[in-house]
Amino acid sequence: MAPNPSPVGGVLEPLPPAMEALERLRTAAPPYYLTPSPDLARLAREASTHLFSSLLPFCTNPLPLDRLLADESFDAEQIWHQIEVQSRPLLPVLRRDLRRFEKMAPEELLGVKVPQEDGRGGKEEKDLEAEDMEDPGEEEEILEDEQAEGGERNVRRGGGASDSLLEGNESDYSEDGRDDEDKDEDEDEDEDEDEDEDEDEYLIEHEYDPQGDGRENEDPDSGLFAKYDDFFGDKNKKSSQPGDKKKKWRSSNKLEQSDEEKESPGDTDIDDRQADDAELDSQDDETLSTFERQSRKLKSEIEQMEKENLAPKTWAMLGEVSAAKRPKNSALEVDLDFEHNRGPPPIITEESTDIIEDIILKRIREGHFDDVQRAPSLPSKAPKELKELDDNKSKKGLAEIYEEEYAQTTGLASAPLSSSDELKKEAGALFKRLCLKLDALSHFHFAPKPVIEDLSIQANIPALAMEEVAPLAISDAAMLAPEEIFSGKGDVKEEAELTQADRKRRRAKKKRKFKAEEAQKTAKKARGNKNLDRPNVSGLGNHALYVDEERSLFRLDW
Amino acid sequence: MLRRTIRERREYLYRKNLEAKERVLYDKKRKIREAITEERPIPTELRNEEAELRKEIDLEDEQTAVPRTHEDDEYANASEKDPKILLTTSRGPSQPLTQFAKELKLIFPNSQRMNRGSQVISEIIEAARKSDFTDVILVHEHRGKPDGLVVCHLPFGPTAYFGLSNVVTRHDIKDKKAIGKVSEVYPHLVLHNFSTKLGQRTANILKHLFPVPKPDSRRILSFVNQSDYIVFRHHVYQQQGGPGSIELKEVGPRFDLLLYKIKLGTHDQSEAQDEWVLRPYMNSTRKRRYLAD
Repeated sequence: MAPNPSPVGGVLEPLPPAMEALERLRTAAPPYYLTPSPDLARLAREASTHLFSSLLPFCTNPLPLDRLLADESFDAEQIWHQIEVQSRPLLPVLRRDLRRFEKMAPEELLGVKVPQEDGRGGKEEKDLEAEDMEDPGEEEEILEDEQAEGGERNVRRGGGASDSLLEGNESDYSEDGRDDEDKDEDEDEDEDEDEDEDEDEYLIEHEYDPQGDGRENEDPDSGLFAKYDDFFGDKNKKSSQPGDKKKKWRSSNKLEQSDEEKESPGDTDIDDRQADDAELDSQDDETLSTFERQSRKLKSEIEQMEKENLAPKTWAMLGEVSAAKRPKNSALEVDLDFEHNRGPPPIITEESTDIIEDIILKRIREGHFDDVQRAPSLPSKAPKELKELDDNKSKKGLAEIYEEEYAQTTGLASAPLSSSDELKKEAGALFKRLCLKLDALSHFHFAPKPVIEDLSIQANIPALAMEEVAPLAISDAAMLAPEEIFSGKGDVKEEAELTQADRKRRRAKKKRKFKAEEAQKTAKKARGNKNLDRPNVSGLGNHALYVDEERSLFRLDW
Repeated sequence: MLRRTIRERREYLYRKNLEAKERVLYDKKRKIREAITEERPIPTELRNEEAELRKEIDLEDEQTAVPRTHEDDEYANASEKDPKILLTTSRGPSQPLTQFAKELKLIFPNSQRMNRGSQVISEIIEAARKSDFTDVILVHEHRGKPDGLVVCHLPFGPTAYFGLSNVVTRHDIKDKKAIGKVSEVYPHLVLHNFSTKLGQRTANILKHLFPVPKPDSRRILSFVNQSDYIVFRHHVYQQQGGPGSIELKEVGPRFDLLLYKIKLGTHDQSEAQDEWVLRPYMNSTRKRRYLAD
């Protein structure tokens, strides 16, 4: 390819036709673009084809096209799409590089340190310009370290986060994926980028080393693949230096070395723990990352809780605890939580005593006490009627008084009835009836109504009884003597009890009796109806005839 | 004796059951009486029974007009007879408790103190009933401090359970000459601030432990209710100088009673019904007052 025209200016050598087309496009006056001209179109096609093919080596991913199809038959839209396919992945990378180059001083850019000076210079110019050519010798060097680069590339990508945010993460991921898969095939296409990355890393190292150690990194690419452990895991192993801010960068250097040694992450952990106790005191909190601090705290908490769970429970957590099971005076320290719903009993103070005494004094003064009052007892007896004796002389003569009494007893003149007498009589009668009932309830035998002292009713009571006060509780069994009830020999047999001999005897007796009667009758008839003096009764004696109102029994005399 | 007791107890329970019906009848009569006095028409629901109830109303006097409750039955004869009290302690009393029991004996007139020994409660009560005691009082303690009082009224009467606190006995006061002897005159009673129905009931129970005093007696026993704690004080007063000056001299023990149960039976009848029980574990107890309004 033709050498780059220097940006400062200089003699232009004769260009190849594609470049010539570009040049002509560039120099064409603007008004020519306003009207459609086939000439310009042809030039444009040529130029774009040329550019496409020149940029093809820089593409990291294999494109579906290897050359731009920009014949007359192709539409502007189609051509544009093809260009898009190529340029889209390229642009972010190039922009990033451009920005980096902007920061550098011009001397560095043009400096001799980097072998691909030309390549870097070319990057500064626009995408459309020519590309770089690298030395084949350096290619191999780059290839050796490609594999070690992988991790560190990630780190670097992290550093260029702003780019990725703008452009999306597709390019990053795509490039990573590519790295893992087909590295051999894309050597050529990668070369430029690898170079750049190497350069960048080298630059970073040298730029951010204020101590000026100028420590050359043997493997500048080893830092790309560092992990967390590389940064923070081995700190315990290595001797800690007095804290300085750039220690991180320093450690990154160390990590690159350790990365080459290829320590397993497991070892670092174990070493961490073992070294923890020894190194913890010596390390400040500043040296630990936030995550490290948090994890340390968590671990200690977990240990604490595990210890608690394994140990036997405190006495307050056990169920029923007597005094023997808990330490001495421990119940005083614990806050026993239960509600007292009544509150404490009142404390007696002088004031309360005074209040009480005031109440008592007040009551004494009023004379108002709550003693038991005697209930008025009910009168058990009726009040006696006190008859007043009249002192005055009686107006009636003695004869007149006797006369009145006689008249009352014989019934000729009724006694003067006063209203109180009427009431008294009624009350008396009611009371008697009541008393009769009560008495009848409480006596053992049933007592019938007492005999009314009325001469009209015949009662078979001996005269003595009439004069006596008849006992109320009397049954009719007491009225008559046993002989009066039954006189005769004992040994009275029922019909069912009779034996054959008894029946015969009875029948014989009956017959005799009948015969005797018959004989008498005939004798009577013969004599002619004599009056019978006295009834010939055998067996049962006289019976009383009395009418009992309640029972209405009649027992007739035979 | 046993049969009589059983019969009386059965009567008592029967009367208690009848109380509800009596109450209804009493209400009806009251309504009619009010209607008559206020010259209002008789309420329509009572029209049918009006005639009979009228007759009964006319025949009523003050005693029969009020419906009798079981409480009246319990204390029916109390006012006629002086109370007779049997005082004893729990088993194995300590010396401070026996001293306190002795002091209580001096407080209650007509009371006798008995050594507990190993007697069973039911036997004690049975014996007391036979000997015509009206009340049995038991005193309990906790490590020397008297902490419980059980007042059991006898025929089948109510039993009141109190808790004691803030007990100060006469024996605590060492100076015997200053204290002097306890007067044994029948005392006047001051029962202050018993306004609810339960309060009246408690006051009744406490009142009937004492006989009817003479009007000029100078000895005063006071039961003052302050937020359900009944404060007991024993004073003797003198009226020196004019009528305005009254000197109170405190004599005898002082304690606070806290009622926690009233049972409608004697102390040995554990199956008897509770008239009222204190529930201290309820959340609303701390706000409620049972003996006063």
